[in-house]
Amino acid sequence: MGDRPADLPEALGRRISDGSFTSGLSVAEFAACLELGLEPVGLAQGFCAMQWSTYAMGGAFARGIAPYGGGQGGYVENYQCPHGMVSGEHRAWGQNYQQTWIEDAWLKGFSSAYSRMLEEAQALGAHGVIGVVDTVGHLSDLGIIEFHLRGTAVSVPGATAPPTPWSTYLAGQRLVKVIEAGFAPVAIVAAVASVRVWAYCMTEYLMGGTAGFFGGASDPVEIAQIVAAQLTAREIVRSSARTQLHGDSLHGASVSVLEREFEKGDLEIQALLRGNRLRRFKEFDALAVPRATVRLS
Amino acid sequence: MSNDTSDLPQATGRRLEELEKGLFTSDLSVNEFLLIKEVGFHPLGLVMGSSIYHTGIQTRKWSQSQELTKLTEAMYNARELAMTRMEEEAAQLGADGVVGVRLDVNYYEWGKDAAEFIAVGTAVKAEDGVSRRNKLGKPFTSDLSGQDFWTLVQTGYFPQGLVMGTCVYHIAHRGLGQTLGSAGQNVELPNFTQALYEARELAMTRMQDEATALDATGIVGVRLEEKSHQWGSHTIEFLSLGTAVVKASDVVSLDRPLTIVSLDN
Repeated sequence: MGDRPADLPEALGRRISDGSFTSGLSVAEFAACLELGLEPVGLAQGFCAMQWSTYAMGGAFARGIAPYGGGQGGYVENYQCPHGMVSGEHRAWGQNYQQTWIEDAWLKGFSSAYSRMLEEAQALGAHGVIGVVDTVGHLSDLGIIEFHLRGTAVSVPGATAPPTPWSTYLAGQRLVKVIEAGFAPVAIVAAVASVRVWAYCMTEYLMGGTAGFFGGASDPVEIAQIVAAQLTAREIVRSSARTQLHGDSLHGASVSVLEREFEKGDLEIQALLRGNRLRRFKEFDALAVPRATVRLS
Repeated sequence: MSNDTSDLPQATGRRLEELEKGLFTSDLSVNEFLLIKEVGFHPLGLVMGSSIYHTGIQTRKWSQSQELTKLTEAMYNARELAMTRMEEEAAQLGADGVVGVRLDVNYYEWGKDAAEFIAVGTAVKAEDGVSRRNKLGKPFTSDLSGQDFWTLVQTGYFPQGLVMGTCVYHIAHRGLGQTLGSAGQNVELPNFTQALYEARELAMTRMQDEATALDATGIVGVRLEEKSHQWGSHTIEFLSLGTAVVKASDVVSLDRPLTIVSLDN
């Protein structure tokens, strides 16, 4: 866990020394957990509060003047005004670029909270953590983002605990089906990509619906700069998730995309991917033939 | 307080008397009703408890993160009072337990700093006449739905009580110096991490203490709720809620779920 602020909180000590278990599982998930032969040992959680701001590369000064040279690594794409016009209101240059510093900070916050959760699970003598839920939210009005991960720590009676507990977003029948299909959970996978868009004149006209003379068209056309940013954010997040797999497979992945506009023509496109890293441990068990049902209501 | 029902309002008397004669009210859905009957319980009536509580004020230090113990106690006692009154109503009906308990907090315009805490649920009784009350001799309480109650019983576990823990915490404001010191960087703020961590752990530990008092094997369906109520954004209540359960039998009578394909559109 390395750079965690201090030790886990004092109150934790007493909570985990109690004999009873606490679980965030619903009753149906609890029943499925028992069906799998897993024993819940406690609710494990981890937090990390990070100072957060969404500052841009080179500050706002660099916007619209010329291609910003000093990159931070990663994707950069420049767009130049086709009109040959210079004025204070006309954005002669536009840029899409990957905000690697935002991605790095996000990953740091998320993985700190994650490793603290695993540490709690380990202190409970758990083999794994199921039904992981993560929330990333703003804390009051402080400019602070809080990463909060929690899940139910489980153990397999009679087996020795792995050096690091495994983890999965799955619980209940979805977990049962994955295991029946011959896959064992290894870890949760979470990755983020952040692409900043500084719109140039064409993009601004098209986004503002004012594509008249300068935009060159009044018919619906593609806004190339935004499309490129959207596609790239998704591509980056997928390849970044792939680096976390180490040869295992990713299941139940979902990508959510958040678009935020800071001011006219200045936006951030953030893609977040969550999934489960799974490893095959046995052949596929044939699924019971499903019975067809019709609801009479 | 379990047998002392003197603090229930008069109107309760007639309503409960009618229920004792056999008529029952419940907010269970038809499916929930059938499932509760299936595991050998009969609904007796809708029971509730309420408490209007003045939550008071407590001074907070602008730049210090700390637990506001007076507010914690107020939030805790108020819910406890509402729950106990609900249990009293259930006890008066001769119930073994209460299912589907909902705990709500309402604020009214007429009372600044006052809040009404309400607990509502459906009292149930075992049809075989064997008492299913918890270790303290009180009706068990749970926020389980009828479906969850049925499933839990099939796994060999039985609810003992709705348990909760709370912690009202004030989060420090950041000074100008601190803010400027780390401006333009996205970095961890260890003090905040630690303070919030502590607050939630306290709420959970308190919840677990309640479960231990009931000799519970564990707690299922734990929820962690965070609310600022009316205190402003820097004061947050961390509430932890769950149903304490005890392992009653090793027999798991739950069938393996059937795989189905729905032919509905």
